Amino acid sequence: MKIMLKEEFLSFVDGLIESMDVEGVKAKDKKFVFDRLGSSEELRLDYDTTILPPKKYFLPQYETIMKFDLSKQFSVKKEEDHEKRVIIGVHPYDIVAIKQMDKYFLDTHPDDLYFQKRKNTVIIGSNILNVSEKAFFGDMETGYVDSGYDLMITDLGDRVAIEIGTEAGRDLLRGYSLREASTGEIEEVKRIINDASEKAKRGLRVKPQKWHDLLEKSYNSEIWKKQAEKCLSCGTCTLVCPTCFCYDVTDEIDLTLKEGKRIRTWDGCLLRNFTEVASGEIFREKTEDRYRHRFNRKGRYLPTLLGFVACVGCGRCSSQCIPDIADPVNLMNMLAEEVSHLEEKSVSPHTETIIQSTEVEKPLYVPMPATIKNVKKLTKTEKLFEIELDNGRSLGHMPGQFVEISIPGYGEAPISVSSSPDGKRFQLIVRKMGDLTSKLHTMKEGDKVGIRGPFGNGFDLEALRGKNLIFIAGGLGLAPMRSLISYVLKNRMDFGEVTILYGCKEPCEVLLKEEIEEWEKREDIQFLKSVDRCPENEKWSGEIGVITSLIPKVKFDPKNTTAIIVGPPVMYKFVIDDLKNLGMPEENIIVSLERRMKCGVGKCGHCQINGIYVCKDGPVFNYKDIKDLPEAFT
Amino acid sequence: MKTKVAFFDFGGCEGCQLQIANLEEDVLRLIDIVKIVSFREIMKEHSDDYDIAVIEGSIMRPMDEERLKKIRKNAKILIALGACACLGGVQRMINQWPVEESKEIVYGNSEKIKDNPYFDNFHTKAVDEVVKVDAYVPGCPIDRNEFVRILIAIIQGKKPPLPDYPLCVECKKKENICLFEEGKLCLGPITRAGCNAICPSYGSECEGCRGFISHPEERAYKEVLENYSISVEELLHKKSIFNYRYIEKKRDKNE
Repeated sequence: MKIMLKEEFLSFVDGLIESMDVEGVKAKDKKFVFDRLGSSEELRLDYDTTILPPKKYFLPQYETIMKFDLSKQFSVKKEEDHEKRVIIGVHPYDIVAIKQMDKYFLDTHPDDLYFQKRKNTVIIGSNILNVSEKAFFGDMETGYVDSGYDLMITDLGDRVAIEIGTEAGRDLLRGYSLREASTGEIEEVKRIINDASEKAKRGLRVKPQKWHDLLEKSYNSEIWKKQAEKCLSCGTCTLVCPTCFCYDVTDEIDLTLKEGKRIRTWDGCLLRNFTEVASGEIFREKTEDRYRHRFNRKGRYLPTLLGFVACVGCGRCSSQCIPDIADPVNLMNMLAEEVSHLEEKSVSPHTETIIQSTEVEKPLYVPMPATIKNVKKLTKTEKLFEIELDNGRSLGHMPGQFVEISIPGYGEAPISVSSSPDGKRFQLIVRKMGDLTSKLHTMKEGDKVGIRGPFGNGFDLEALRGKNLIFIAGGLGLAPMRSLISYVLKNRMDFGEVTILYGCKEPCEVLLKEEIEEWEKREDIQFLKSVDRCPENEKWSGEIGVITSLIPKVKFDPKNTTAIIVGPPVMYKFVIDDLKNLGMPEENIIVSLERRMKCGVGKCGHCQINGIYVCKDGPVFNYKDIKDLPEAFT
Repeated sequence: MKTKVAFFDFGGCEGCQLQIANLEEDVLRLIDIVKIVSFREIMKEHSDDYDIAVIEGSIMRPMDEERLKKIRKNAKILIALGACACLGGVQRMINQWPVEESKEIVYGNSEKIKDNPYFDNFHTKAVDEVVKVDAYVPGCPIDRNEFVRILIAIIQGKKPPLPDYPLCVECKKKENICLFEEGKLCLGPITRAGCNAICPSYGSECEGCRGFISHPEERAYKEVLENYSISVEELLHKKSIFNYRYIEKKRDKNE
């Protein structure tokens, strides 16, 4: 530990200010914020906590992720941020949160935008002198860190104690006079750390190691509903949280109509339309479901996924929630009243420091240019697009995977690949629904689009080989399923009995009519189709009735057949119940699910079904793996 | 061919149109992408040949209704501009009293104005209570950047963007100190965001000029006010400034 005289420290800060962007804690009325420092005089190391955590420097509230030149067919330029930055005064609990953030953004599918900002930032931590009323980092044991910073300072009045964490930190100090700390000074720093942690204990009766079990056992508690009745669904608890990272992505076009940009902004799972898809379906519509999701994500889902409890005890949510229902201490204590015995897991808010050892090369969000090779109108609202990547390579997808297709200025949308993986071209069946898909419907052969992917888990072809298969598709569900059907029919000898059931609302909605005629003619498969209703002026040669009415009409051995089900959310429960009643084992049921997705790589948070991410764990799932997830089938 | 845009004013202060006139150098960019054929704050000419009609103000009289319907027939797209057009504006508060009663208070002897169509008021209406509205630019006054965003979206065939989350989101992103902490009654938790929380950013409570979100958490909000010892009367008063329409709707539903 080193010691610097306070005056010397202030001139050190002023020196930094002269050479780079220095962000530090400043007063804002009676509160504190991280903001650009104009002089060392503004720095307030005696702060208790800031309104927003320093996550805003790595995941800004509003961030340009790429720019478009709209005067060209497809011109996308990734936004670079090379500014060197120092953040002064980061409390230990916020450093723990930054380490979590590193893991979240860099562990798998590393986020280059995050990485660039993070790598260009030097963190000067500061041990806590004053404790905010709602802080409970003492309970969470996050009042002290021994890594995750470049420098860690402790304000000792006329002197500043400095712990050097990295070479980058050491480099900053070069040229300033330091001396070794005395035993007394080391003790003084220890006392400051201990005092803060003692003050920041608020009587949390369930330690973070037990949150997982508590939340699992309390999933159906009435407390969620009771608490959520007071919830304003304002999103505050997520926005001010140092470990909430969900974001939305939108496109903007400027007034010249020649330039545009793709923007990433903060989103929050407490907001009602967080899970809303283009068709209007909201998957977590009830306030209590959203309220419960937030705590489960922190105490159960992220610990399972990344090995840390995503709460650092900063107390920001509790102090800023107007109805005062966001406090983890109160909630956990309330839930604990109802549960007698709790198992411990070896997780805590702490996680390893990975930033120094990480390198990220590939841009995550920049789409590959691709060309529309063919457009075919299927119905009033659906078109089939045949697309080829401009780099000449094939997409390399598995049946059941999806891509993010984008048009600069109109956004991006996840669309399942409808063709089997052969040849350079791939096909997407797209319903005209939102901005992106409506624009896509106006596009022609030769027009350019952007493609990211393929993403997600497709159908396990090896596991399906040799099996009897029954495909059950509802409406647009045929689009993702067709990639597998085509594959199976092309490799017919590799599979057992094949049955295809396809249901739509009305005859005008039937997709791929010519292909379906071929299927009807084939003698090596069974095929049945139905519509819920047939208006008088329309022709229909199939059955009338909902999709489940087709199941008793075909011959198959439920015990020795694998079912593949894709359709609108409402369909799954009914079809699965019928198959199970016929004796089909749960592990023989495969589904593909739809949720809102922005990133495709498990970062933006929208597609979560309890602890799993549809975009990377799915969209294809074995029913037995997700049947116990309460949010899977609504 | 540039999209032709016409502006029309009804019952209001014309302040929202003024916001657009105040786009300054952006006005020049605006007229690069659209042709403005009628806008009395910035030009003398007028034409009835337009694609987009921008309606400012609330609908107060039969003659307004007639004029508005004609505009709707001429326009492919109709935009309601500002709190008066979107909600009925502050003048909707008058709907709490019978029309004749308020006329008497305002004009005295109503004999003098009898048969004068300019004074033939009915209860204040928002534009979409008379004709179909394709896009809303809320606020008193509007945020001119939001107007531009919505106009661009329309020109590009996109859905006009309008946030459906509460103002608190924007206050948090800007690190504003919550006005509830200062004991002020702010309508932010139930009001539609999109103004970048301009009033709370200057320490003034949100008065809900952008209207409420589609699913305001009414019950939770009332409970909060009770906890902060704010009376229901005070709340209703605040709510009625811009959102008397909402109160009417709730009342009709309860009846």
